[in-house]
Amino acid sequence: MAVRPVVRLPDPVLSHPAGPVGPIDDAARRLATDLVDTMRASPACVGLAAPQIGVSLRAFVVDVTGHSKARSCHGTVVLIDPELVSYEGAELAREGCMSVPDLTGDVPRPTRVVVRGRAPDGSEVVVEADAFEARALLHELDHLDGRLFLDRVPGPAAVFQRRVYR
Amino acid sequence: MSERHFAVSAVGADRPGIVAGVTGALVDLGCNLEDTSMTVLRGRFAMVLIVAGPERLEAASVESTLRPVAGELGLAVWVHDVDELEPSAVEGESWAVSVHGADHPGIVHEVAAVLAEAGVNIVDLSTRVLSGEHPVYVMILEVILPPGSDPPALEERLALLSTRIGVACSMHLSGADIL
Repeated sequence: MAVRPVVRLPDPVLSHPAGPVGPIDDAARRLATDLVDTMRASPACVGLAAPQIGVSLRAFVVDVTGHSKARSCHGTVVLIDPELVSYEGAELAREGCMSVPDLTGDVPRPTRVVVRGRAPDGSEVVVEADAFEARALLHELDHLDGRLFLDRVPGPAAVFQRRVYR
Repeated sequence: MSERHFAVSAVGADRPGIVAGVTGALVDLGCNLEDTSMTVLRGRFAMVLIVAGPERLEAASVESTLRPVAGELGLAVWVHDVDELEPSAVEGESWAVSVHGADHPGIVHEVAAVLAEAGVNIVDLSTRVLSGEHPVYVMILEVILPPGSDPPALEERLALLSTRIGVACSMHLSGADIL
C-alpha cells in the first residue's frame, strides 16, 4: 500500500521495453497495489503503467470509471504480462500522460481492442474494450514497450503545450 | 493578370497588432497571402509569409513599404523574391520522427544530420523544452522519405544515434494506423 512518485521524462525507464513479471509473488502483488494507489492519488489519472513508477515490468492499471468519453467500462483493471489479442477501427484523439507533463498530443489509435493478461490473484483476464477504455489500454500497453504518446503523433502539429496565459 | 511571389519574414517582440499591421500594408500593395506560418517563441513573434503580388511589384519596394510599419511595431522585416514556387506536395512518403530526452546542445543537428545523410527532407519541425529539475527536449519532425528509401535502415541509424546521444528517437508512418 503506497503512493509512489511518478517518473517523468527524461527518465530512460520510460523509453525501454519492460520485462515480464512471470510468476505472481508478493512483490508482484505489491506492485499491483502501488499502481492502483498511485493512480487513485491523481484524480484525473485513468491509467498507470509500472515503468511510470520506475519499475521496468509488464504491469499496468486502467480505470475509466466516470469518464465522459468512456463507453465500455470494466472498472479498475489491473493486468500483469498483458498482450494485445486483436484490434480494429481507428480514431484520432487528444491524450496526455502523467510522465509527460505540459504536453498533450493527438494520437491515432484503434477504437476496439481485446487485451489478455493475468489479474494479481493469478486468474486469466480477457478485456474487450472500446472507445476511451480501448485508448487507455493501448496507451498503457505502449508504456510497457517503452513507447509514449509522443512516439505516435502524426507530426509536429499534433503536439500541444498546455499554455499558461497570465 | 500575371503575378509574382515574395517571401516576407518578420521577427520582433510579441504584441497585439503585428499581424494586422503587416498584412494591412501587404493588402494595400495588392498582395495576397498564400502560405503563412506564425508563432511566438519565448516572447518573440516570428512569421514567414508567401505572398502573391502584381507583376510590376519589386521585392525591394515591398520591403521599403513594410519598413515604417515594421518600425512602429518593433519588427525586423525581410522580403525576398520567390522565383520558382515549389509545389507544396513532395514526392515520397510522409513519416513522423519523435525525439525526446534530457536537453543538451546538438540534438537537432545530430538528428538532422542522420536524415540529411539519408536524403530525407524535413518539411515540418517543432521543438519544446519542458522545464523542471531535468529539462526535457521534445522534438517532432515531419519528414519525407524519397522513393526507394529504406525505412528500417534509417530507423536503425536513428536508434544508434539515440543510444549515442542519450535520447529516445522513433519514427512511424505519418497518419498510418500503427501498433
